Parts: sequence; C-alpha cells; structure tokens
Amino acid sequence: MSSKVRIFTTPGCGYCSQAKQFLTEKGVEFEAFDVSSDKDAMQEMRKMTGGARSVPVIAVCDKVLIGFDRTELENALKCLE
Amino acid sequence: MVVYTIEGCPFCEKAKLFLKEKGVRFKEIPAPFGSSEWKQMKEKTGSSSWPQILIGDSTVGGYLDLVSMEATGELYERLNIEGRMLDTPLYDVIILGAGPAGLSAAIYTIRKVLKTLIISKDLGGQVTWTSDVENYLGFSHVNASDLVARFEDHVKAFGVEKIIGVEVESVDLAGKIKKVYTDDGRSFLGKTLIVATGGRHRPMNVFGERELVGRGVSYCSTCDAPLYEGSAVAVIGGGNSAMEAVLDLMSLASRIFVVSTTPLTADPIYQGKVKKSPKVEFFLEYEPSKVIGDTVVEGLEIRSLKTGEVCTLEVEGIFVEIGIMPNSSIFIDTLATNSTGEILVDSECRTGVAGVFACGDVTTVRYKQVVVAVGEGAKAALSAYNYLINQR
Repeated sequence: MSSKVRIFTTPGCGYCSQAKQFLTEKGVEFEAFDVSSDKDAMQEMRKMTGGARSVPVIAVCDKVLIGFDRTELENALKCLE
Repeated sequence: MVVYTIEGCPFCEKAKLFLKEKGVRFKEIPAPFGSSEWKQMKEKTGSSSWPQILIGDSTVGGYLDLVSMEATGELYERLNIEGRMLDTPLYDVIILGAGPAGLSAAIYTIRKVLKTLIISKDLGGQVTWTSDVENYLGFSHVNASDLVARFEDHVKAFGVEKIIGVEVESVDLAGKIKKVYTDDGRSFLGKTLIVATGGRHRPMNVFGERELVGRGVSYCSTCDAPLYEGSAVAVIGGGNSAMEAVLDLMSLASRIFVVSTTPLTADPIYQGKVKKSPKVEFFLEYEPSKVIGDTVVEGLEIRSLKTGEVCTLEVEGIFVEIGIMPNSSIFIDTLATNSTGEILVDSECRTGVAGVFACGDVTTVRYKQVVVAVGEGAKAALSAYNYLINQR
C-alpha cells in the first residue's frame, strides 16, 4: 500500500529538503520520489497536478500541494489525525 | 501613582488616557510653571517638563517611559498589581528572517547572553535557491542545503528560540519597546529589532507570468531544471544568476534562449562556458512581453528594444533570473529606504530608528553574497548589544 504522504523532489532543491525535514520532525511517514531519475514518478506528478513543473509537489490524502509552505502543509496534514 | 500635569499638554492627556485604559488608578496634580507643585515635581523627579509620573517616590518619567514600562510588565510589578504581569515575554532582540544574515546575528546575540527570538517565514533564505556554494570561506565546495543545515545546527546548538513558518504582518517601532505582529494573530515584544528579511525574486511583470508560476514559469533553476529534459526553455537575464541557470539547464534542455534587456553582464568565466554551447541562442536587448499558454507555458513573446520587432519563442519553460527585490514592504512607512526599497543602513547597520537594525540583502549594503550577509548579521547583532548596554 502506498504512503498517505508522498513528496516529489529533485536533488538540488532546497525547499524539498526542508519539506522532508519538516515531515520528519512532525513524525509523519512519507515516501519520497526523485523525479529527475524516476520518469514514472515525473509522469505521475505532472498528471496529478495538471502539468506542474515545479518541485516539491506534496500529495497528502486527496490534496496536492505545489511548493513548500509550512502552514499549508500543516493544514493538509490534519487529514491524518 | 501620581501624574504631574499642566493645561494644554498633549502628552499629559495621553498619559492620563493610557492609565485609564489600562485600569490603573492615579492622582493628577496640576503643576503650572513656577507653582509650588511644579517646584515639588522638579525636586522629586529632577525634571521640569510635563508630564512627570511617579510611583511612590520613584520616578517613572514621561509618557513614552510609561508606555515602555507598561509593555515590559514593570509598571504592574512596581504597583504590586498581580495577574497583570506580562503574558508575552520581552526579548532583548527579535530577529526577523532566518537566512545567513539573521542566523549569524542570532549566534552573536545569544553569545552576548541576550534573550533572542527569530521569526521567519522560512529557513535559509535565498541560499536554498542555489545548488552549490563555492565561495564561502572554509568550504571549497558545499551543497547549499547542507550549508543551510549547518547554519541551523549551529544556531540550535546555542538554543536560540525560533518561530518558523509565520509571516510578520506589521511592526510598531515608535516606542522604546518594539512590537511585532504575525499573521497567526500573535504579537511579540523586543527591546531591539534586527531586520534580516532578505530578498525575493524579481518577477518580469508581464501578462501570464503569475498564472503560470510552477507551470512553466520558474524562479529556481536548481530545483526545476531536471523537469525540463528534452524541452526548449528561455532564461531571462544576463547576469551571473542567469548564466548559472543556463548551466543548470545545459545538459538537460534541448534549446536555451537567453533573453536580456542589456548585453550580458555576467562574469567572463560564466559567459565563456555558456557561449561554447551550440544549444544556446542569445536575444540581447530584448524584453519579455507576454507568457503564452492557458494551463502550462507554451511560449514566450519577446520584443526588441532596438527595433520594436516582436517574436515568439516556442518554449515549455521560462527561468526568470533578473535580480532580487528586498522584503521591506512592512517597513516602507517607518524606515528610510532607497528607490528600490532597500533599507538604508550606516556602517554599523543602524537604520536611523533607535533600537532598530538591519542587515543582509534587505539593506543597501553592496554585494549580495552569503559571506557578506553573515558579516552584516554579526555587525547588526553587536550594534544591538551596544545599544542595549547604553540603555542600562
């Protein structure tokens, strides 16, 4: 079964690292995909965002967030409670 | 509590109103110039101006001193009013921003044993937009995320209190105690304030740009370049950052159009690398005029500044690298800024408002570099320390 939180990243993306660190600090389990090397993940990311080309993309429950905004992510994570 | 007043004195009225609003009982003693009450006031306080406020025999000062004392909770302490102690703590220093300047300032203030709070929307500032740093002393090559993590660990090791993820909505710099209001409805009090809010990417300000951010329009080539493998892209700008973006894209994109309103201004070392590639085509002295596309970027319309000729570049990505705008909008009314919004500072990071210091990319300091911001942060912190020492 896939994780409830998935994060799509690239290696040089500082906001991606910060988002992952934020999830770790919150004790949230997540699955991370490097879209620069995982083409299937890239396709999926673009499909779920309607063509977005920006990382990080964070999928939480049925929400898809483009970019890392602490408040926005914190609100989205409430579905896990 | 006693308040010596004189008729027609606006600060006397303000002081009385303030005490009434705060529910503090006081006795007003009118003390016209030369009267015995005035002589008594002068004898007790050493001051001959109005109002003069006293608690028992100890002097508070004038209206502004009263406001400061109330803000710190000292007023209620001296009046022995329980339950009215301050519910928010008073910090020696509040640092706005957690990029290299703000974090460096925090290291210095905490080592001076100043009660310090950092408030910031995010961590690391603009360093997080780059991939590698090669000009920071002690590191011949360091990944930008790793450098930010090291900065953060350093600050953590000293136990600096920080609130990350909130936006500062407004500040009140008028009194001795500075107030900071954040978008989550909280407020914070500081004896000094260090503004280290940094900068953000300057947008092109053309039709379609805002709507397609993240859908082809990008301000972070390090982050998003890998998403453009095999695509044609445009890079806007002719400086070092623009050339770095071209280099990030060089091995991935199929074609790269460089659009700059000026001839290239990047360092020769960058220009040399970029000009070697057959993938790169230059449109110099052209300006972007329109982003084309409904849900994703499909092209970019550009216009020649020389001839007015308009042409369309068929691109899926547009990387905007045309400089930085200072994050100074909440200070525009209270601090002096230059025409681009940078906060004016002197060589000691003073802003001209007592107790308010600024450092890093939000200021007029030349050369927006990590190492410069770190140095400026240290200066601002030491200036804040000296200011506090002189207040005691």
